[in-house]
Amino acid sequence: MNDLFLSFIPGKSLLHRLDPRTKIIGLMVISICILNVSSLETMALVGLVFSTLVFICRLPVIHFIKSVRPMIPFFSLIFLMQFFFTEGTPILDLNLVSGTYEGLLLGGIVTLKFVFLILFAALITATTSPSGLTTGIEKLLRPLPLRYFGISSHDIAMMMSLSLYFVPMLYDNFKDLKDAQLSRGLDARKEPVKAIMSLVVPLVRMSLRSVDEVALAMESRCYTGQGRSSMHVLNFKNMDYGLFVLFILLVSCLVF
Amino acid sequence: MSIEVKELEFFYNKGTSLEKKALDRVSFSVRKGEFVLIAGGIGSGKSTLIRHFNGLLKPHSGFVTVDGIYSGDKNLRSKIGLLMQYPQRQLFGKTVFEDISFGPSNFGLEGDALKERVNEALILAGLNPDISEISPFSLSGGQMRLVALAGVLSMKPEYIVLDEPTSGLDPDNKISLLSTLKKLHSSGISVIVVSHQIDDFLPFADKVILLKKGSVAFTGSSKEYLCSASSQVPVITSLMKDMKYRGFDVAVDIFSVDEAFNEITRVMRSKGVKKDE
Repeated sequence: MNDLFLSFIPGKSLLHRLDPRTKIIGLMVISICILNVSSLETMALVGLVFSTLVFICRLPVIHFIKSVRPMIPFFSLIFLMQFFFTEGTPILDLNLVSGTYEGLLLGGIVTLKFVFLILFAALITATTSPSGLTTGIEKLLRPLPLRYFGISSHDIAMMMSLSLYFVPMLYDNFKDLKDAQLSRGLDARKEPVKAIMSLVVPLVRMSLRSVDEVALAMESRCYTGQGRSSMHVLNFKNMDYGLFVLFILLVSCLVF
Repeated sequence: MSIEVKELEFFYNKGTSLEKKALDRVSFSVRKGEFVLIAGGIGSGKSTLIRHFNGLLKPHSGFVTVDGIYSGDKNLRSKIGLLMQYPQRQLFGKTVFEDISFGPSNFGLEGDALKERVNEALILAGLNPDISEISPFSLSGGQMRLVALAGVLSMKPEYIVLDEPTSGLDPDNKISLLSTLKKLHSSGISVIVVSHQIDDFLPFADKVILLKKGSVAFTGSSKEYLCSASSQVPVITSLMKDMKYRGFDVAVDIFSVDEAFNEITRVMRSKGVKKDE
């Protein structure tokens, strides 16, 4: 795969070795913390935590830049909305609207919140293999009374791992298709509808076909969805327990 | 008038820890009207290389020019027809006509001229022009591949590049595709085939380029290719090589069963064995 968006990078760092469950719960805790941040100083602290983690897991910084990049238009929109529609001391005066100092501050914080949410998610997906991640989620969901709704935590985990499996495949198919249609002179600016059709129709056809094939392959190997063991046996180590204590402390600090 | 590839280098994921060199100082040229086979195993950089011909990928160093124009130029895309692997997957039109006309209409062709062009392309690809009003998805896999080929031919390319055109085809469809390619070649179009199924293309390739791990391991005529012992050769050639090794004085630059039969008969005769024995 040519692209690094939210993909797994194998390694042996501390973060790679942590139990997926710890990482998932850690992500939830840190997300709650990030959403509660209200000043730039605390945001800097979050940034510090993030940089330390990146340093520990020894991943290239470019990976994280790439995972934020596709969202830049969305972030800019949020920032500009806050900047122009918050009341306060005007610092930038355009005729219709004016940007305020308070808006700048608020916009900065809100945007950084989203950026860090994505960065931490990217950190987890980069250091956890997709199958480890689904096993972790399955184990976490197991105590829930899902079977009364006709679904097991295993079904959910299987659906997740299948979707994870399809994302890079769809992406590769899309790239090949784009290349093929570009070679035939595809120009999205000239005829956008036709351009979209020429990509979407074959992509949907290919996807439906591969979904069928995967379903057949699973069925022909007698998949029933019950009583399956997992490739990953999850064990909490001292480090995981230590982190759980930290998480509980963090959350209780926030609550009280 | 030719394609020139000079010191071409390309990396995947350049600048990250996953950086991988896909092409390493690749240089060669393809003259107009030549039939060129680019051979090499999986991961040898074949598909990466052909994506440079019409600027889908940009080289990190070195360059590709087509008739003197740098490959980044979008106008090249009508000059170089590129048919990807499993091209039947790229079909999207409600009718065969709609699909084939996609290319030329992107380059500004309209009306009767467009209809004319689509008909020509269908005939050139060896299809019956009557199918132009039916849905491409109702055709067989082999015919769908030919429709995709017609979709590229309809742009009237001067060079046509095909990625593994025979993979997954049954013998009948393979033979008809090969004869279509031969016909294209004799009508003056340069045909560049990228394939690891060399048996199919060696007999009529003017030039063979063997890629190994992203660099050119061999360039030369197909006869020369057969004689260079290091490379993979068709089954019939390895039979002849084996016979020579065992002391029969046969030629080894042989591609087809017929040729091999004639050569073996010749050698047997010269040893005094009569035909009906």
